Amino acid sequence: MIRFENVSFGYKEEISIIRDVSFHVEKGSITAVIGANGAGKSTMARLMRGLARPDKGQILLDGVDLKTMKASALAAQIGYLFQNPDRQICKNTVKEELEFSLEHTVQDPERKEALIQEVLTALDLDPEAEPFLLSRGERQRVALASALVHKPELLILDEPTTGLDYKECTQIMEYVAGLNQEGMTVVMVCHDMEVVLDYSTRVIVMTDGHVIAEGQTKAIFQNQDTLRKAALLPPQIIGLSQMMGEGFEGISTVAEMADAIEKKAKGGAEK
Amino acid sequence: MILMQDFSFQYASGKKNALENIDLTIADGDFVGIIGNSGAGKTTLTYAINGIVPHYYSGDFYGSVVVDGMDTVESKPEELAMSVGSVFQDVDAQMVASMVEDEMLFGLENFGIPHSEIEERLSEALEQVGIADLRYRELESLSGGQKQKVAVAAIIALRPSIIVLDEPTGELDPRSSEQIFQLLKKLNETYGTTIVVVEQKIGLLCRYVKRLVLLEKGRIMLEGPVREVLKQADVMESIGMHVPRVVSLHKELVNRGLYDGPAPIGLEEAKAMTEEVLA
Amino acid sequence: MKGLMNYFPGNTILHRLDPRTKILFPLMICIVCFATDNVYVLLGILVLDLMIGLIGGIFRQALRLLKSLLKIAAFLFILQMLVVRDGEAVFHIFGLAITDEGLMTALTGALRLIDITLPLALMISLTQMSDLANALVSRWHIPYKYAFAVTSAIRFIPVFSSDMQTIMEAQTARGVEFDTKNFFRKVGLIVPLCVPLLISSVKKIETAAMAVELRGFNLRNKNSSYKQAQFRLPDLITLLIGVGLIVLGFVL
Repeated sequence: MIRFENVSFGYKEEISIIRDVSFHVEKGSITAVIGANGAGKSTMARLMRGLARPDKGQILLDGVDLKTMKASALAAQIGYLFQNPDRQICKNTVKEELEFSLEHTVQDPERKEALIQEVLTALDLDPEAEPFLLSRGERQRVALASALVHKPELLILDEPTTGLDYKECTQIMEYVAGLNQEGMTVVMVCHDMEVVLDYSTRVIVMTDGHVIAEGQTKAIFQNQDTLRKAALLPPQIIGLSQMMGEGFEGISTVAEMADAIEKKAKGGAEK
Repeated sequence: MILMQDFSFQYASGKKNALENIDLTIADGDFVGIIGNSGAGKTTLTYAINGIVPHYYSGDFYGSVVVDGMDTVESKPEELAMSVGSVFQDVDAQMVASMVEDEMLFGLENFGIPHSEIEERLSEALEQVGIADLRYRELESLSGGQKQKVAVAAIIALRPSIIVLDEPTGELDPRSSEQIFQLLKKLNETYGTTIVVVEQKIGLLCRYVKRLVLLEKGRIMLEGPVREVLKQADVMESIGMHVPRVVSLHKELVNRGLYDGPAPIGLEEAKAMTEEVLA
Repeated sequence: MKGLMNYFPGNTILHRLDPRTKILFPLMICIVCFATDNVYVLLGILVLDLMIGLIGGIFRQALRLLKSLLKIAAFLFILQMLVVRDGEAVFHIFGLAITDEGLMTALTGALRLIDITLPLALMISLTQMSDLANALVSRWHIPYKYAFAVTSAIRFIPVFSSDMQTIMEAQTARGVEFDTKNFFRKVGLIVPLCVPLLISSVKKIETAAMAVELRGFNLRNKNSSYKQAQFRLPDLITLLIGVGLIVLGFVL
């Protein structure tokens, strides 16, 4: 879907540096980018959307170099959700907000209307509501709706769960996961390791502008060495399985853990 | 001490009570975590302690809130501020200076701390927070975690007996979040500072605070020592709250009849629990 | 990246000047610029402005600022060149005579603009706003509220400009094209840009006001400031240079 080839960025600005990064986001995956503050995650997301241009190397979207693509083509193919919805909400009603997003990507009025209705229903939004009077969680849903109303092939989420409670966070992630089932590729920058474990299929680990690991989510979380280097802690159940050692390898959910404990406890009792 | 008695508040712009019939006592030296879904009234609760409510945001105020012997309605916010230090959600917006040292000086100067005492307080606060090396740095050049520490340092230099913080780790990564809580714990244990903190990351919170207050729709739903509240994981789940995974595991083990001890807080205790089941 | 009006830390002789000097000196230069019509004096002041950048260790920023000022100055230059009709024709553009006086007026006007703006902007980059506020309050007895309002406004400029940057990116991500050349389209961009900026600014300022109040803002008086601005020899020399320039400006 999207490929970074020896990308470097930010030497001149001294901050948010990306150093010679190469990786590939698979089509149809939910890929999480994780790492400490200042590791370069958000910068990478911005590069991926063409909001920043690499100083060196190239970024290919389905084999096409991003910098050769028109702004409208980029907008049509990639949806992008910022951490703070207040950075983009600018209209009087939720519906106008969505129409504004489509203005640049979809021309046919009937199709516009259909797309808007679909996303309104899916995210449980009132088309006539005033976005500024909504709660933070609802505003985030409005922002998400406007990022994906045109059904982009790639959706980038930059810390989508910051400022949301768990309920709102699951609601948004469940919807995104559903779209992923229908074929949308998702890249998300995320601090919450439980969310990363629950929803992502692949993980890219960053420290200090480098990608230090990349692979299946569970496999990456099993690797204590990588996590230590990235100053991250594994999700709780994986952490526990590592502490327990033998007989608990590869466990990542509460149910699996309970099963393993039960099995072992009963096995021990029979002996 | 913070004493709220049958306290309700409705913002002048609001349609219903942001907080309703709150009865809450927070003793000196306590370390309390406030949890709840968005819109439950967590931030309003912090505002009621530091006097933002009703002095900055007016509205219908019922019942009473007494902080360190001062009735918050009758006392001026700056009088309350001598006892209560506040750290807001938006760390950038609450900064007034461009350098760390000047940020620290602002409050000290305002409260009329004798100039002969200022240097001592300033360096001590930086030392306590562990950022003595940042004293002459620009705020702009600091990371989110460092800025948050500066905000805390600027408050503790004023030596308040109570500190309220609203989601201090909202935009921080796991390691920096951990550091902020270690710092709060140190302040609480070493200096006896009462700490009230609103936090979304419950797994993190539980490992540090002594007590939890769960708000839902403006009311206190659960309140008590951390373990007591975690025992009622069902209640938390029923309103869509995040329950730490090791607590869910505990619940599962109890349901399967394998364990009957208290819920674990953190991984070490979860390990002990598992070992006990296996033994 | 740091923009205009940001504080550039350092320990140069200019950094250590009394904040009052750093405000007075640019004002003196301003007087000089209006007192004189002499192109050489104005050019000399331009050199002096750049020297400030050099001594203060912010020469790169000074050049960048100069570059953006040149654009406005060029516009002013062309406008005055076309409008002033006195004097003798030097050459013609599309049948319109350009006079010698027109050229001179245009040149001095453009130089003045640059000469006046540069030193103030540069000195602000070398001054901590809190020091300035304290100096204004304790020495000039300006009420702290006003001093704080002014310095906060200046401090918030870089904050808002970085917000603006994020908002532009957020809207670009929705397909809004900010680099359009079409004028009417450009006007249409005001809403997606300004509404979010306004909202986020109001929220920020609200938090700032609460935070400041809870840190005893209302208790402050003119003796609160811990660091006292000191008027020393370099300040005296700087101001004397200023006076000298003013005299020169009136004479030439």
